[in-house]
Amino acid sequence: MKRITAFVFGVLAMALAMLTPAFAQTKGKVYYLVPTLLDEFQTGSVSALEMFLKQVGYEVQTLNADNKTETQQSQMNDVIALKPAAIILAAVDFNALKPSIEAAMAAGIPVVEFDRQITSTPSAFTSVAGTVEIGYVAAEQAQKLLTGKYGAVKGKILQVLGDPGDPYTLDIQKGFEEKMAAFPDVKIISVPAMQWEASNAGTIVADQIVSNPDIDLVFSHAAHLSVAAVASLEAAGKKPGDVFMMSSNGAPVGLDLIRKGWLQVEVEQPLYAQAAAVAMFMDKIVAKAEIAPGDYDVLGLKATVTTEAWGPNIKIPGAAIDKDNVDNPAFWGNLKAPTDTVKSVE
Amino acid sequence: MTPRSRKSLEFVLDNLVWFILLAVLVLFSAGVPNYFQLGIFANIIEASSVLGVMSIGLALVIIAGHMDLSVESVAALSAMTVGVLFCSAGIGLNIQLTPEWLAVPASLAAALFVGGLIGALNGFLIVKAKMNAFIVTLASYIWVRGLVLAVSGGRSAQDLAPAIRWFGVQRLMGLPLTAWLAILCFAVFSFVLARTPFGRHLIMIGGNENATFRAGIKVNRILMLSFIIAGSVAGLAGWLLAIRTSGATANLGTGMLFNAFAAVVIGGVSLKGGVGQLPGVYAGVLLLASINTAINLMGLPATSTQVIHGLLVLVAVLLDTLKLAIRQRLK
Repeated sequence: MKRITAFVFGVLAMALAMLTPAFAQTKGKVYYLVPTLLDEFQTGSVSALEMFLKQVGYEVQTLNADNKTETQQSQMNDVIALKPAAIILAAVDFNALKPSIEAAMAAGIPVVEFDRQITSTPSAFTSVAGTVEIGYVAAEQAQKLLTGKYGAVKGKILQVLGDPGDPYTLDIQKGFEEKMAAFPDVKIISVPAMQWEASNAGTIVADQIVSNPDIDLVFSHAAHLSVAAVASLEAAGKKPGDVFMMSSNGAPVGLDLIRKGWLQVEVEQPLYAQAAAVAMFMDKIVAKAEIAPGDYDVLGLKATVTTEAWGPNIKIPGAAIDKDNVDNPAFWGNLKAPTDTVKSVE
Repeated sequence: MTPRSRKSLEFVLDNLVWFILLAVLVLFSAGVPNYFQLGIFANIIEASSVLGVMSIGLALVIIAGHMDLSVESVAALSAMTVGVLFCSAGIGLNIQLTPEWLAVPASLAAALFVGGLIGALNGFLIVKAKMNAFIVTLASYIWVRGLVLAVSGGRSAQDLAPAIRWFGVQRLMGLPLTAWLAILCFAVFSFVLARTPFGRHLIMIGGNENATFRAGIKVNRILMLSFIIAGSVAGLAGWLLAIRTSGATANLGTGMLFNAFAAVVIGGVSLKGGVGQLPGVYAGVLLLASINTAINLMGLPATSTQVIHGLLVLVAVLLDTLKLAIRQRLK
């Protein structure tokens, strides 16, 4: 009994030791509701938002929804009760969070949509690269690769999606297939990697490369899926360049694969700029001041603010990374935090 | 029914999952384009390696009348441990050993140690502290996955040391060595379960723990050992997982627990304990991998694959239930 009691207290002590309260004086507390911490883009977004918002005087508290819609809804309800300066939301589900956003806005708490655009209800601000647009950029790159190989846009593409329950991957698919529809000589095989799990992607590639040995390009919707895809290709006796590879989100693992010659293109989401844009406008968001449409310089990137039906929206274009520009420190996948400090927009 | 036809029927029932597997392979070979080829069959066996090894540990504990929900997270933590120690990119520390092949036993030992340690903790709380196995291992499922996230910081490790990756690339008779390792595990543990006192006692405990105790068998020791083995075997699955994906991500192995349960049940292991054989579990794992491969090749809309996967698994379990009903009528 004593041992069990000691064990219980030991576990509690460890849990308490992990709680690190912050006492600094700030302009206010901003809650960031991150959908998951199981991928590098999301963990990167936490540190980027914390860094940039601290530069403009805000304290960030992050809550992880573990990719569960109902968890994020509960988090929204809890955070509304705490009356923070603002809520930054990267929604697990684009539609299910609509009532929570409306509740927060009605309570006078501005909600910022980060990375995942919600157009069905107004928000205080939206900062996105545009998931459909990522699909567009990927399609342009696929066209280039296939033209380079055949002199025309034709061939076979294996598209490894993320979890089919995640609108993020479905939007990329939508953008990609919309642009590729103009090329009837391209056959696209789309298979989902359940739960964005890497070994599922590896199995898909292993199966498809046997049943469709003429696959020209493997397009994975996240860089960590490409790592497992490479492992499967390697196990099948393929060498870098035998099959074109492309992925999206710009994670460090994707950039490493470009350097090793396995990956030809990584479509980057401009993580730092997306986070910096939120920080630049946070004073106006909290003050509920007008955000003027127009072009803004965000960490050296040209970003455009437009007034949409769902509120002010800043869109920062995604970039295609290849072997020629892979070492550019501006890409978040190189994990070199920008040295420029962000200033609030007057 | 004549004794001969009864014997034949019992043989079919004893090995029903293998017959179902055969039927499914024939069906998919006839109906799914490009399914019928050696490369695809090799893929099925390869894809079964991680899930198969994980299912062994789970099956042993279930046969003993208990439960281990932590095997998936344990495998993930072991994979992350191997990734952090022996990967050269991402969060990998790229530990170099001389000669290089030492990385193989070192990484394997690390994976087994991590798994064994968590298995021992589970065993202690369940066997010594008499806590409920479902709750204890559910807690482990959660906190161990949390530890994976804490250790990795949400980042991934990739580019596993070539000496370790060799097991995933090198082939013997068309199959990667990882698949042979899984087959070897099934052979060894099938022997242990069927032919050793430990295995027989495990089945007896699952059938009636009190009666086994009264028969003078050291129940607690055997149960403790079964949890340590389940943890270690899950660690081995994690080692194979890291090899298969050439590293580790924080969500590696997510969803495998439920597939492992499905494989164990399809393989004929009773969730009540005391009944089950490991060859049947391997057939269950192969069956799931065959279904998965067929779905991969069928080009179905992404949004409907999970439904089809679930329904096909349900059909397999229903056939197994039918088997039990027929067997009862034979008695």
